[in-house]
This record gives sequence, structure tokens and C-alpha cells, in this order.
Amino acid sequence: MPAVIDKARCNGCELCVLYCPLDVLAMEDGVAVVRYPDECWHCGACRQDCALDAVTFEFSPVMLAI
Amino acid sequence: MAAVIGSEVHHLKADVAVIGGGTAGLNTAIAAAEAGADVLVVDKAHIVRSGAIAGGIDHFFAYLESGEPWDTRDAYLAYVAKVARGASNLRIHEKVFCEELTAAMARTERMGVSLRQQDGSYLRTQALGQPGPYAINFDGKFLKPKMAMEVKRKHCRILNRVQVSNLYLHQGEIAGFAGYDMRSGDFYAIEAKAVVIATGNTNRMFKTQTGNPFNLWYCPANTGDLHRAAFDVGAELANVEYVRLTIVPKGMSAPGFNAFFGMGGKLVNGLGQEFMNAYHPMGDKAPRNVMVWGALQEVRAGRGPIYVDVRHLKAADLEHLFSMLGIDKDTLPEFLRAKGYNREGTMIEMTVSEPMQARPSELCGSGIKIDETCASNISGLFAAGDASDQMGCLHMCMAGGFAAGKHAARYAAKLAHHRPLQANALEEERKRVFAPLLRNTGIAPGEFEGIVRIIATDHFGPYKSEVSLTSAIAKLDALDQYRDQLRAGNLHELMRCHEAVNIHAVAKIVAHAALARKESRFVPYHYRSDYPETNEDWCGLVVVRRDGENGVATRFERLHYDA
Repeated sequence: MPAVIDKARCNGCELCVLYCPLDVLAMEDGVAVVRYPDECWHCGACRQDCALDAVTFEFSPVMLAI
Repeated sequence: MAAVIGSEVHHLKADVAVIGGGTAGLNTAIAAAEAGADVLVVDKAHIVRSGAIAGGIDHFFAYLESGEPWDTRDAYLAYVAKVARGASNLRIHEKVFCEELTAAMARTERMGVSLRQQDGSYLRTQALGQPGPYAINFDGKFLKPKMAMEVKRKHCRILNRVQVSNLYLHQGEIAGFAGYDMRSGDFYAIEAKAVVIATGNTNRMFKTQTGNPFNLWYCPANTGDLHRAAFDVGAELANVEYVRLTIVPKGMSAPGFNAFFGMGGKLVNGLGQEFMNAYHPMGDKAPRNVMVWGALQEVRAGRGPIYVDVRHLKAADLEHLFSMLGIDKDTLPEFLRAKGYNREGTMIEMTVSEPMQARPSELCGSGIKIDETCASNISGLFAAGDASDQMGCLHMCMAGGFAAGKHAARYAAKLAHHRPLQANALEEERKRVFAPLLRNTGIAPGEFEGIVRIIATDHFGPYKSEVSLTSAIAKLDALDQYRDQLRAGNLHELMRCHEAVNIHAVAKIVAHAALARKESRFVPYHYRSDYPETNEDWCGLVVVRRDGENGVATRFERLHYDA
């Protein structure tokens, strides 16, 4: 799981959905969700553009284990 | 839902249309707008955060005429001639880089991104075979958004999230292109007097270290969409036989090579031995392909894994190094922490990255063949940045992107009228583009793309021979039968379908070009096991173009160097 969005912090501004270079994010029920986590490039654009620190990164087991 | 998608058709016109809004494309747009052209930028993502530097960038190569013997234009060109020999056309390099460099640096600063440290000095490091420290370290975290703001200030029109699907000619000259919005499903027909392609290289063509095709050094959204489309209308491509690799942290393919080795990091093998001096007199400051070759040989000899050792660096240099890593790849420092590394320094395990279709050196490109005016062989079609055969890397995309915009605007200004697009061709394209959405059964794009990756990796990723390439072409050709069975459940998957088809098409072109070059060059980027030596007779470009419905024609164009 790469970018992870804290629903409680997200205010639905949509900036991360607007900008994600790989189109992995989408709006659902007024908040941003990571719809295609396997297609994340880990570029961090979503986090840089989030004013509310709602985005964190979790690295998949394979990235940390090999 | 599917019946509605694609029914909305927009017809637009522009003097200059730029396809791809990364570093090169945005500089192209700025230049064309400053020259008075009506400019349209079309990007598959969003220009604020698209392309190779979406998350940031940390270095800019330049000579600064500081008085040092290595810091002159001539010394720089001698370096280009040495490390990009047979790939970089120095005449073009002078025009698209040297003559634009001063203005490109001034433009960067004017847009609000300083190339200098807080005290006004440049912090420069040396790596990659450079005769002196050409890499200006700087904080380019916001360079991409700032360039996007500049493009908006210049009143360029912007179409975000539009994937261009095909180019169209009228009597052999560029007329425009078609595409679709992968968020709304609207279809676009765009007439442009001049078209500039700036869509980067082709990624996702080879297997990766983690098995995830998006865990890449370079941007996974670059899928050769316009390499394929330009080739289909007869554009010549060059430098496409090279399969580029680098050295990345184990587990995460990320940039950082220049930062690690520029700051003095050393490659160490599994026996704890530094080894690069055995492969090149410049050791860990050797050209990138030599570093990759050294790492591959150590692993093959049973002396893996490989590590980068930074334990000898001073505390302040270590701090600078780790901050630079995060500027270029936002998530890399925390990845390294998650792996248990710290600044004081355990050695960091590295690996040779996934291969990619890209330039063999930082000093040239790989793709649409351009002349000194960034023009292709098709009238009205230009290329810039990594998508061209002569530009790559931030410094050239900033400088050469701007050059392309000036020339495209000049070309467009001479045309009184737009060349027409054919209505029947557009209607046919509209049906073709959305067809995967209408299939109830079929093949998922990821499965098709995965097959291409296996074939490309096994047959030319990166080692190759006549047998491996000939059989790769046969296998890739046989895959054609599945292209019309690709199925998309939504618009996002539709984009992935077209990307998969484009990666497949470019893989074929790469294999044909590699088959034509009967020598090895920039080893291992072009390593022919049946022709393992570099041969001066092949000092030049293998130029490929479409031949008939399914064929690829190649020719050789010699490049000349003084030494």
C-alpha cells in the first residue's frame, strides 16, 4: 500500500485527485481515496499538495523485504 | 454508461500544440507563447504535477565559464563527444543546449526557483564521467508547479487528462491529432499548424526489481504514446536501440544516483570491496553505463549484493545528501528509514534498476529524430526533451524545450491556414479509441503489457543477439492478434489499454533498431553478445522509420567528432 489517505483529515479539496500523475486517486463520498494503489509511483505529489497532512506513505512488504 | 462515453466531440485549433506538459513541453509552450503563437498544451496527467519531475528535481547540469579549464563551452562539448559518442549530434547539441543555456538558467530563476544556495553561490558536484563538477545542486521541489504557473501566465490553453491517440497528416504535412479525456470520456479533434511532441521516453517495457511495473526510476506514465503515433505517420526515430539502466536502492527504483556518487558515495560489493576502479579510471565518478556494467559484473561473479557506502562522508555532507535524495524523490528518505538505514550510516543496499527505453547518456535523447531546429522529417512536426533523439535530462529539457517552442512558433507563423483533418478518419479513430469499453469479455491491459515485459526482458533487457532479437520480433508480432481483444471496465483502464498497445509497438521498434546495430555501444545499454566490441564504423545513429503496414526500415547516419 503506497499513498494512504486519512479520511478523518481529508476535507475533500480534490487537489491530490486533480494532480496525481498516474491517476491512482479518485473522490468517493466527498473524500479522496487511493483507487489504484498498485499503480502509485511514490512521487509524493499528493502529499506535497495536501494542506491538511492527510497523506502518508506505507511501503509494500516486497519493497521492504527484498 | 459506455454508450454516452465518446459522444461529446470537441474541435479545437491552435497555432502550436504541445503534446506532453513535462519540463520540455512547458518550456516549449512558454517560448511559443512569447513568440506570439496561440498555444495549446495537452497532457495525459495534469501539468502542475506531470512527467519526470512531478515530485521534484535536485540537479541541473551546466558549464558556467567560471575560469576553470573544465568549465567552458568547449570543454563541455568535449565531454559530450566523449561520453555520448555515436549518439549525440554536437551541431544540434550546440543549438538546442549551449545557445539556450544562459537563458534557461535565467528563466528558472525568474520563475521563482533558485539554482543557488542561500549565500548566492552554486553548489556543484561531479559524477557521470564529468571532467569537473557540472551538476548544480538545487532545490527544485516546486519547479514543476512554478513552470505550470508561468504557462498559465502566458495564456496558453491547457487540456489536462487528455491522452493523444493518433497524429494526422495532410499531403504529408502535419495537420493535427485526436485524443480523449480520460476523466470525462470526451473526444478531441485538434488542428494545429505545428505540433511539438514532448512525451518523454517509454517505461513499463521491462520487468522490475519488485515485480510491480510502476515501481520505476522514471515516470511510469511515459509509455511511448507519441513515439508510436509519430512512427505510424512516418516520423524517423533514432537512438531507440538503447536500453537504459541505473543503480537504485534495493526495493525502490528511485533517482539518487547523481546525489550519492556526486557527494562521494562508493560502490562496494558483497565482500566489502570497492570495485569501480577496476572498471574505469574515474571509479565511482565514471559514466552511468560503466557503473551499471561494473555492478552487473560483480553480481554475476558471485560478489553481490552491491552497496553504496557513504560512511566516510562528513556529517554536513551526509545531511546535504539525504536532503537532496528527498528533493528528487519525495518518499526516498522515509523509505530508507523504513528499511532501517540512518544517516550515520549502515551501507545502503543497491541494485541495478529495471531497463527502460531511453537515451544512452544524460547528453542526448532517444526518440523522434530532430535537426538543429528541433524539427522532425515531417513538415510541422517537432520534438523536444526525452521524446527527441537529442535531448534529455533537466538541463536539456529546460534549454532545448524552449528552442523547440521558438522554432515551432516560427513555422506556424508562416502558415496562413490550418491543414484539414478528415472527418471520416476522426470518426474511425473515435470508434477505435473507445472500443475496449464496449467489449464484455477480453484481455486486461495489465496482462497484455505483462507479456510484452517478459518478452522484452528475456530477449533484450539489456543483453541481446541476432537470435534473441529476431525471436523477440516474432513473439511481439504474434502478440498483435490480442490487441483487438483488450477490454477496459472504465476510462482509467481504457488509458492503460492504449498505453499497453503503445509499449508493445515501441518494443518492436526497439528490437528492430537493436538488430540493425551490429556492434556494442554504451555497454550494457546496447550489448550484442554476437558483436561484443564497440566498432568505430558504427559511430552514429541507427535511424528507424515505418516501412509498409508492419515493417521497420533502418538506415545509418554517421556522426562526426573532432577527436
